[in-house]
Amino acid sequence: MGKLAGKKLLLLGERDGVPGPAMEACLKESGAEIVFSATECFV
Amino acid sequence: MDLQNQQRIVDAAEKYGAENCVVILGSSDAEGAEIYAETVTNGDPTFAGPLAGVPLGLAVYHVFDEEIRSECNEAQWEEQISMMEMVLEPDALAAAVKGMRDEFSKFKL
Repeated sequence: MGKLAGKKLLLLGERDGVPGPAMEACLKESGAEIVFSATECFV
Repeated sequence: MDLQNQQRIVDAAEKYGAENCVVILGSSDAEGAEIYAETVTNGDPTFAGPLAGVPLGLAVYHVFDEEIRSECNEAQWEEQISMMEMVLEPDALAAAVKGMRDEFSKFKL
């Protein structure tokens, strides 16, 4: 288990950067719980 | 930062304890990443949202920070993030967030 194990993750993605769902996919097996994932955009 | 997301962060810190929460950013520019990182550590610098005057001191990292990247599923990283890693400036983004973390975070990984 890595250092994220047992942590609660708050993912704040960005549409023009790395979106929330992409981070979710990469981190869902990290042993941490994803509490929420959002993707903001600036227009 | 969007006011609704500020509220979700306040709620999560209350529910789970600030020491257990880790904020991971996917911002595309260093200035934006800094503002987000400041908001979840020292409070909303614009004094507009629920985090105004609320220095939660959360652990905050950019997804490109090696500490987070090394925890990611490699195949998913290739598929979902590697393209943006080439386009953006991963080192500058990770450093921008680290600067705020070193100054204001009460918790770290």
